[in-house]
Amino acid sequence: MRTRLAGFWRSMPLRLALLLVLLFSAVSLLSLAASYQVTKNSFENAIRADLRQDLAGFRAAPTARALALLVKAESRATNPNRVILSYLTPGGQIFGNATIARDDEGFHIVSLAGGQAELDGSYLALTDALHGGLLTIARSRAELLALRDLFINILLISLLPTVLIALSGGLILARRSKRHVEVVSRALDDMTSGNLGARVQFGPRWADDLRRIGGKLNQMAGAQETSVAALKQVSSDIAHDLKTPIQRVGVHLEDLARDLPEGSAQSAKLQHVRVEVDGIGATFQALLQLAQVEGGSARARFETVDLRALAETIVEVFDPVAAEAGQGLRAELPDAACLVEGDRALLGQMLSNLIENALRHTGPGHEVQVVLSQSGDDMCLSVRDDGPGIPEDQRDKVLQRLYRLDRSRHTPGNGLGLSLVDGVAKLHRADLVLQDNAPGLRVDVTFAKATGSIGNARS
Amino acid sequence: MKLLVVEDDATTGNYIARGLREEGHVVDLLANGRSGLIEATTGAYDVLIVDRMLPELDGLSLVKTLRGAGNRTAVLLLTAMGDVEDRIAGLNAGADDYLVKPFAFGELSARVAALARRPQSLEAETVLKAGDLEMNLVTRAVTRGGVEIDLLPREFALLEHLLRRKGRVQTRTMLLEGVWDLSFDPQTNVVETHVSRLRAKVDKPFARDLVQTVRGAGYRITE
Repeated sequence: MRTRLAGFWRSMPLRLALLLVLLFSAVSLLSLAASYQVTKNSFENAIRADLRQDLAGFRAAPTARALALLVKAESRATNPNRVILSYLTPGGQIFGNATIARDDEGFHIVSLAGGQAELDGSYLALTDALHGGLLTIARSRAELLALRDLFINILLISLLPTVLIALSGGLILARRSKRHVEVVSRALDDMTSGNLGARVQFGPRWADDLRRIGGKLNQMAGAQETSVAALKQVSSDIAHDLKTPIQRVGVHLEDLARDLPEGSAQSAKLQHVRVEVDGIGATFQALLQLAQVEGGSARARFETVDLRALAETIVEVFDPVAAEAGQGLRAELPDAACLVEGDRALLGQMLSNLIENALRHTGPGHEVQVVLSQSGDDMCLSVRDDGPGIPEDQRDKVLQRLYRLDRSRHTPGNGLGLSLVDGVAKLHRADLVLQDNAPGLRVDVTFAKATGSIGNARS
Repeated sequence: MKLLVVEDDATTGNYIARGLREEGHVVDLLANGRSGLIEATTGAYDVLIVDRMLPELDGLSLVKTLRGAGNRTAVLLLTAMGDVEDRIAGLNAGADDYLVKPFAFGELSARVAALARRPQSLEAETVLKAGDLEMNLVTRAVTRGGVEIDLLPREFALLEHLLRRKGRVQTRTMLLEGVWDLSFDPQTNVVETHVSRLRAKVDKPFARDLVQTVRGAGYRITE
């Protein structure tokens, strides 16, 4: 879950959305801050202009006495919360609606109307010496403060919804693109696990770039499928077309064998030729069968197969051969039946190929083990030997058709046995792993339990 | 037996016909599907040997038409393909057995013989005999000339299979199918080894060999 979430945060659309939100927020904040500053400055300038105008009005008074009277008269009509008028006469008298006091903590505006109460708020003040006294006019900065609140409100109203919308849009896009990317990645998984017919299925609302990638992938898969199909077709055509002539050669050789006296040198030579011809026929048959197994149509015939019973039979069939060659063949099977959906004949041949392979590549005194085990929903059929094994870098190659290890070139076999094992495993969607048995080779074929869709449908 | 071979490849057709004639059968050889069908419906044959790929009417259609007309004559299909699917298609069409090219004549001959005696007696036998060998299917005791022979279960099954088909050749593939229900042929000589182990117990201590090797074909038990 945590990794899924982490993966989600790493998704490209979400990252883009976050980046956009950040950029947008930064730009909005900067522009709002700038306009606030400009507006505030112009407000302050306006207040200062007003103050200068007010002062000019008072300067018109001819004497200190006249000024004091004018201030007194004006003060009555003026709210000290907005405008403060204060005239300190040369005689030390104060006229006005408030005055400015000064103590250790700084300037205070003290109301003259209601006792000595201080006035809150900040003011812009202009002071001038007039007629020996000091005239102070101050205008409240309350409007400027209101301006700040206004800008904060604008910020909240405009920016917050934008951020939320961008974020949720990003999330939705991220989820959608995640789904699309998953479709592509599933198709790729399918292709790499051997289903060459797998394609990326577009939705109608896919983004163009993903469509292009998917389209290219489909093209590539199509080309690969065509060339693989052509290769298979060629090999089965060759195999098929050569079987009738091989049959004829066999017939002529049999005729020839009858004409030759038994036990003669020619007859022995002929016998070699016949063995070779039989080998060619068997190789073609194996190629044909491989092509058919890889075609996958056998899945339609799948039935429930008891791997345990099958392994028991095959081990029984090979037991005397192993004993004759001085090799051990030991089966380690569970007590209960191990049911898988599959083709009994092909599964039998797969196990038989693995056992033959192990017996062929280990000499007398060695032991081959067939182990069937069940863990959870998986069933593992394992054939292990203590022979020379297969070098790690060759393990994939031995599954290819007609590939043979250098040291095996002179042992019997056509290089198709393990290819068939691989083909049958893929047909059953089983997992084939070749590993080191330290010493020797260990081949594990892991099947999913029979209770797949088919099993469920049945029960 | 009277046999009909329908095969368009002359070499293979003549080879089959000649081999079967040498075994004492009466063999008719035809090279195309349509005349093969007409001959099969009019002549009274024991076994038909039909190639799958034939001119004019292919082998599968021939067998289907024959079965559709209610003709139950045993049919052995020959084919160059030989994958499981073809086999199933052949058997579904109504063929009784199936042989993949290239094949050895011994295999063909043994399978034709098996088909000819197809309606086997299904009566429950309890004791199988060949010469002085006796197999009791109930007690699972095997004796020869009164001497008890101790057999492993797989040896018992192999001997039972051969005894039930006394006198008839059983090829490797027929034994693999009949005894172990395996429809593929391992590269190793597994059948030979099983037979030689059986012989060591059933024949070796005694004067006469019951289990015979038929060269190029397989094994059989005789009286």
